[in-house]
Amino acid sequence: MARPCAVVGIGQTQYKRRRDDLSLDGLVREAALRALDDAQITFADIDAIVLGKAPDALEGVIMPELSLADALGAVGKPIHRVHTAGSVGASTAISAAVLVESGRYDTVLTVTYEKQSEGNATWALSGGKSGGQGAGGTFAPWIREYIRRSQAPEHIGWMVAVKDRRNALKNPYAHLHLEDISIETVRESPMLWDPLHFLESCPSSDGAAAMVMCAQDKVSRSPHPPAWVLGHAKRTEFSSFPGRDTVKPQAGVDCAAALYREVGITDPRRQIDVAELYVPFSWYEPMWLEGHLIAEEGEGWKMTDEGATALTGDFPVNCSGGVLSSNPIGASGMIRCLEAANQVRGTAGDYQVDGAKVALGHAYGGAAQYFAMWIVSSEQQPEFN
Amino acid sequence: MRLWWNQPRMAELPEIDFTLEYPYTRTTGPIIGPFLTGLRDGRILGTRVGDRVVCPPVEYDPATGATIGPEHLVEVGPAGTVDAWTWVAEPTSKHPFDHPFAFAQIKLDGADTTMLHAVDAGSIEKMTTGMRVVVRYHDDGLGTITDVHFVPGDVPPAMPRPAAAGDADPEPVAITEHLIGVRIREPLQPHRRRFLQGLSVGRILGQRSPADGKIHVPSRGYDAINRVPMTEADDVEVADRGTVTSFTEITPVQYHGQTETEPYIRCSILLDGADTTIGGIDIRDIPIDEFRVGLRLQMIWNDAVGRGEVRFDDVDNRSYGLTEAVYERWEPTGEPDVDPELVKEHNF
Amino acid sequence: MATPEDRAPEDIAIVAVAQTEAHARYDGPEVVLIMEVVNRLLAEADLERGDVGFTIAGSCDYLGGMPFAFVSNVDGMGAWPPVYESHLEMDGAWALFEAWLRLQMGDIDVAMVVGSGKSSPCNAREVFHLQADPYVVAPLGLDPDAMAGIQARALIDAGRATEADIADVVVRSRAAAMTNPNAQVAGEVSVDSLLAAPYDMAPLRAHDVSPKADGAAGVLLARRDRARELTDTPVWITGLDHRIESHHAGLRDLTDSASTRLAATGAGVAAGPIDVAELHVTHAHEEIILRDALGLDETTVVNPSGGPLAGDPVMATGLTRIIEVARRIAGGDADRGVGHAASGAALQQNLLCVMEGGG
Repeated sequence: MARPCAVVGIGQTQYKRRRDDLSLDGLVREAALRALDDAQITFADIDAIVLGKAPDALEGVIMPELSLADALGAVGKPIHRVHTAGSVGASTAISAAVLVESGRYDTVLTVTYEKQSEGNATWALSGGKSGGQGAGGTFAPWIREYIRRSQAPEHIGWMVAVKDRRNALKNPYAHLHLEDISIETVRESPMLWDPLHFLESCPSSDGAAAMVMCAQDKVSRSPHPPAWVLGHAKRTEFSSFPGRDTVKPQAGVDCAAALYREVGITDPRRQIDVAELYVPFSWYEPMWLEGHLIAEEGEGWKMTDEGATALTGDFPVNCSGGVLSSNPIGASGMIRCLEAANQVRGTAGDYQVDGAKVALGHAYGGAAQYFAMWIVSSEQQPEFN
Repeated sequence: MRLWWNQPRMAELPEIDFTLEYPYTRTTGPIIGPFLTGLRDGRILGTRVGDRVVCPPVEYDPATGATIGPEHLVEVGPAGTVDAWTWVAEPTSKHPFDHPFAFAQIKLDGADTTMLHAVDAGSIEKMTTGMRVVVRYHDDGLGTITDVHFVPGDVPPAMPRPAAAGDADPEPVAITEHLIGVRIREPLQPHRRRFLQGLSVGRILGQRSPADGKIHVPSRGYDAINRVPMTEADDVEVADRGTVTSFTEITPVQYHGQTETEPYIRCSILLDGADTTIGGIDIRDIPIDEFRVGLRLQMIWNDAVGRGEVRFDDVDNRSYGLTEAVYERWEPTGEPDVDPELVKEHNF
Repeated sequence: MATPEDRAPEDIAIVAVAQTEAHARYDGPEVVLIMEVVNRLLAEADLERGDVGFTIAGSCDYLGGMPFAFVSNVDGMGAWPPVYESHLEMDGAWALFEAWLRLQMGDIDVAMVVGSGKSSPCNAREVFHLQADPYVVAPLGLDPDAMAGIQARALIDAGRATEADIADVVVRSRAAAMTNPNAQVAGEVSVDSLLAAPYDMAPLRAHDVSPKADGAAGVLLARRDRARELTDTPVWITGLDHRIESHHAGLRDLTDSASTRLAATGAGVAAGPIDVAELHVTHAHEEIILRDALGLDETTVVNPSGGPLAGDPVMATGLTRIIEVARRIAGGDADRGVGHAASGAALQQNLLCVMEGGG
């Protein structure tokens, strides 16, 4: 049976438009060394490494596990590389957990990164051709369809944009620190893809994120509290086919249902204390609240509107500032997973949710067709009632 | 939809020939930066790692991963010994020379490890393991590994070091540029070829899945839901009018290769008779405030189709979009809108 | 030799394999190649798509010059209703590694692994030099074939091989491939005729480098009890390990494969006789290095399919090595064997999968 696995080390780089002080090697090492330091171990204690990032064309380096092997202390060890589009950061975290849970590897280092400033993501999304519509252009029609179905008022998107950026002010690693953000500045920022304004969209960031995960009998080696991985799930569906619900994709529903079933959660809104959801465009907060069964259909935007998803609300979402505040694409999903771990370890600093015991980390990718989620807890076997 | 022609003439279809190209800008960090600065300015640096000197230098101990700072950089070369080599008889476009040359592992004097680089030896007969080679700095160094090459011999570079010769002290290399281009050449896939040839004579072809009868336009050559390939026998013709199922107003983001500058609409259309949408249709002459899901549109073919003179200059195997080579524009038909609820499952 | 009673519930077997021909150029979509493999796997095991608990693929976006190319590949894998699925930007052999681990967790009993690639649209040399260090190697265009030439030179200089020894690898590959219906090149050639050909990346000649192909390959894996339901001839994976070494060629001994030695220990290659080995030899001299690192002697049949020198469906090539061994064990031609996959220039990263029959 699956062996318990815990996160015992977390490392993040400073996220920035361009990390002009670092090479790719230096970028991944900044995160990896911080994770090792947090776990109070060294590269010598690592049994295997799992690397994740979005397309190779973002930096023009093919199979970067090869050229980063030395930098990550992987020489003589197993290293493999995950790529599942935007969900890759969370997929990589899950892949690393599987290494431990399988019983084969005791201590695993997992690292994800993107150095977006080396290339251009919209160029890559367009396949290198003119006329690329970008991720926002793909998602905008689905967001409009969500608004049509749910009758949500237009200020919901602005509220999410403001909330996440205000949360980011408490996170020293965050790329965007927009001191003067307000509903008005979001509303008045340029319209990029109706209904998405500039300030409702994620930035383009350089950055890396890393975790050390280990088996139960290695947990005590590290001084800080562990975050136990209670369960994880992934689901994929085709990008387009007649009958596809792009607003509430079935793969997202199935992924959440499988995860909650595995962990024993029956009422996610009540039983999960805090969530880090992959929200690259503001409206995806209410859409994933519904799409992952946290809110009833048509009710997600009301949670946002009522402040339930604020840091002080009953279901805080993206206390770290989320993808809207830092977006090194390949790492963005892992950041969600490790911020969930930060919350249950009590290491979330100024954006800590008091008493957080159970946290959800989530990412999606492609045409909202790849989903990867995990739930971590301060307790190995928490009671859900 | 045979509208205008008497003797349809199918267009010639070129092979796909496309280069995925981007000028990457790499920040170099505390070790590679000084190393590339050195190559530009006329010196080669290695790093002292324990009792060894490693060149090219590394940011960390390759054995343990421990960080090694720039204070351990030392100068090596300019000459060295060839440890192993290969002779490149037919250089590719990515190689530093367009004539035959050697790639070699060169152990520079003062270094304990080898560096990979190019040796311009003239002929394979000049190459031997253990031979001496020496660096040649290029006048126009940009701060990349290709700022230098090696030649047989032991004689230090005759020309003065560029930095020593220059008046100003140039900035250290913080960014190294690498223009990467991958050329893709392939034939059009068979279903794609028939689709484009159909367009050239005013017909929009789809494929009817042999599994469930659904009509895919444009087809990808298979039905993913039922996991069946589709063949020419599955080709069917559909109408050149349909319903808008989804749209975005695009504000073009500027990037390498982007030629769009002004906002425009990009939409998906469910053609009458089809079960999948054609995405990526550009709309340039319907105002955004009149554009909506459910709108009925008619494709207006261009004159080239009528004259049998369609030219496809830029083709690909991607399955979306109707090429602008055959249509003038899309025009509202004036029919009542279709209820958006009825097309919500086609909003890709 | 292990007996059926020795198998534990968590033991994992290959229960079905499929591969397409190694097409020099396949004009249809890569998706159709994948679809063909997936449909054959399911048919062989008599399973529905929904019976597969976990699916994982390996491919490389750059081969088709299309970032996110792997997203379309999902069309061939089957993902409606939604599936539990993942993807590695690596040869399918590494996807098999993750699937093998995932099954050991116990909650899923069948997994599917696919590797695929269409390399014909590009010049592999112009693509794969981008695997090298992005600062001090890749801008030189120093591709894996050139690196292999350097490695072959080092091997010859060390007195470990001659050009004739390297040619002999090709002679045996071509001859073996004559019975492989999926091979791209096969036939009887002599060492002398090969040595008469001009150098390509000297000391290597064009025939010493694998012919790149378009193709796909896949396997179905199952836990013990399910495996025995699905096939009469399960092929047990008794050891699987992979290791990497430095990307600085100057820090490696190119005449040896240190990472193969480590993986061999991890996978337990030496725990019993190896009847058959399929090695990911994309440059002929690599077979000499790998035989040495694996400690293989003349009792092991090496690359009976012809190996990658007879057809190299990039990104499926390593997985195909495992399939070729599994096929021979399932067919009763071998009791125990090892499949090898490699990644990176000059055998930088190596995976070994040890398999046994015995029901």
